[in-house]
Amino acid sequence: MKIYHRFIFYFLIFIVMPAVFLMALIWVPPAEFLGESSRILYFHVPVAWISVVSFIIAGYHSIMILCTEKGRTEREYKSYNAAYSGIVFTILTVITGSIWAKISWGSYWNWDPRETSIVILMLIYISYFSLYSALKDNTNRTMISSVYLLIAMITMPFFVFIIPRVYPSLHPDTIINADRKIHLEAAMKLTLFTSIAVFTIFYGYIFRLMNRISLLEHRLQEKQNDN
Amino acid sequence: MHDKLIRIEAEKIEKTFAKTLLFRNINFNLGKGDSFYITGPNGSGKSTLLQILAGIQKPSSGNVIYTSDNSVIESEDYKDFLGFTGPQVNPYDMLTSIENLTFTSTESVDENLMIEYLEKFDLYRHRTKSVKYYSSGMKQRLRLIHALINNPEILMLDEPCSNLDSKGRDILYRILDEVKNNKILIIATNEPEDINLCSKGINLEQ
Amino acid sequence: MNNRILNNIKKDFLIESRNRSAINISFAFAGITTLSVSLAAGGVPFTPVIHAIIFWIILFFSAMSGLAHIFIREEEEKNSLFLSLYYTPEEIYLSKLIFNIILFLSISVIVTVLYLFFLQVLPVYLFLFILTVVAGSIAIASVTTILGAMVSKAGSGSSLFTVISFPILLPVLWTAISLTSVSIDGTGIQEYRNILFLLAFSGVIVSVSYLSFKFIWTEL
Repeated sequence: MKIYHRFIFYFLIFIVMPAVFLMALIWVPPAEFLGESSRILYFHVPVAWISVVSFIIAGYHSIMILCTEKGRTEREYKSYNAAYSGIVFTILTVITGSIWAKISWGSYWNWDPRETSIVILMLIYISYFSLYSALKDNTNRTMISSVYLLIAMITMPFFVFIIPRVYPSLHPDTIINADRKIHLEAAMKLTLFTSIAVFTIFYGYIFRLMNRISLLEHRLQEKQNDN
Repeated sequence: MHDKLIRIEAEKIEKTFAKTLLFRNINFNLGKGDSFYITGPNGSGKSTLLQILAGIQKPSSGNVIYTSDNSVIESEDYKDFLGFTGPQVNPYDMLTSIENLTFTSTESVDENLMIEYLEKFDLYRHRTKSVKYYSSGMKQRLRLIHALINNPEILMLDEPCSNLDSKGRDILYRILDEVKNNKILIIATNEPEDINLCSKGINLEQ
Repeated sequence: MNNRILNNIKKDFLIESRNRSAINISFAFAGITTLSVSLAAGGVPFTPVIHAIIFWIILFFSAMSGLAHIFIREEEEKNSLFLSLYYTPEEIYLSKLIFNIILFLSISVIVTVLYLFFLQVLPVYLFLFILTVVAGSIAIASVTTILGAMVSKAGSGSSLFTVISFPILLPVLWTAISLTSVSIDGTGIQEYRNILFLLAFSGVIVSVSYLSFKFIWTEL
């Protein structure tokens, strides 16, 4: 990456991100009737967004692994790393979500459509990793895991149709929906979107780092093979 | 199908498995009438090389190219030209030899041809038994029949004489002598008699 | 190609009929589970929704116990190389799929009959109920065929199979449960549209599996 790109990148992560935390925790006024606990919004939404983004990236690389031979070796660990970070962010989403639910609604879990979708995403990640580790001795491991992720991806549209019908609106709307109905004040909007943007870039940084480590491990192994 | 000019070419084949290099820079080009041996000490990769040539495994680098009348054959179509057998190829234990052969043979093979081969390999009298009850020598003979019965242009045999008694070997050599001028024959073996059967070959000890 | 697929299916039925233990265990599991539920319930009446849920859970676990078998058997008996020398991956996939569909439809018939009889349920919309069982079973069989192929390569057995099948089968289970519950209690709109949903799901899974089966089956 070019030098000035790097500077902008690091600036965003090391300066803007803490600034966002300050904004979220101190500067932004608390939401109308949700109180101080609404501040978790600025962490919960970005983290949920990232877990979906990870899934899409993992799915994209899996499909590309199956379609073309070129770049297969890099995509092998890219899809794995995307899934790995994905499950971490998904778990964070569930934790932040249930803490918030407890504070605002009094119970940790409510089985409304959003919560259900994130649980399903988590199940898919867990299945992917179970399959991947069970295939430890198999040379075809990446291809098989990629097909699984592909099948999980094509199931997603069906989920989108089904989930709203399974858990109908007897349950209270999620905080996020409620917030969108109450107009977000300008300050809240600003904090929220900056937070999402900065988290995305942070995720990109982590992802790149993971891929670089995997690449180095791969090269080290190849060198060992040559000797 | 036998009128076409089938060639098989190995180009700079290299295989690394579990961090060890098995072999590299394997090159050869074979056509009808060529009989080729692959030999080497245990663990040198004979079976692996044979499987790479058959399209069952992929090499770490290099290419295997099948051509028919100078046009390339895709790896999905190899099975139309290839008869392969080896210790990892197992007919179904719960079926009899005839049922197994009916399962694998093409439409051009009728029951009489199956009976002919079973008689040649002295398995006819066991034809109603399930393969589960066969001795290892009998199983090996059945494997060889499977490889031969569709009359493929390319015959690849991995340790064809393993478990065979002297009578079995005689039968095998007699058949191979008959057919080797019309086919490409590749044998992976340590037996000197197999090696003598072939016109050229390589040794993987390097 | 159709002939060869038929050949493959015939061969699978022949082998399974000679060594019937695996198939017998699948049917026994389905029967025992249904009976256990009815005995454990002890005559306590269930609401239609509970009936639907339990019915489909029984079917789900019956599928988990039996539908990976045709692939696991090929791996355990070391026949997979033999099979792939003579049949293309697509032919193998279609024949295993059809085998699984036939097997699971048979299991569903047994579970349905036992369940309706022992728990004394008679669906009001019988036609919808039957259609749901058929469409749901086909969907379950479609998903479990491709996932069974994956699990057979991993050698870990049926717990892994259950773990990876569950998320993918959730849409099927939800749809089937809601349809079954409507057909049992006779209220609510008969949404035949959901049957189409199940069939569409099966169709999509089968198409994608057909195209990607070779990546699982052949070791490249």
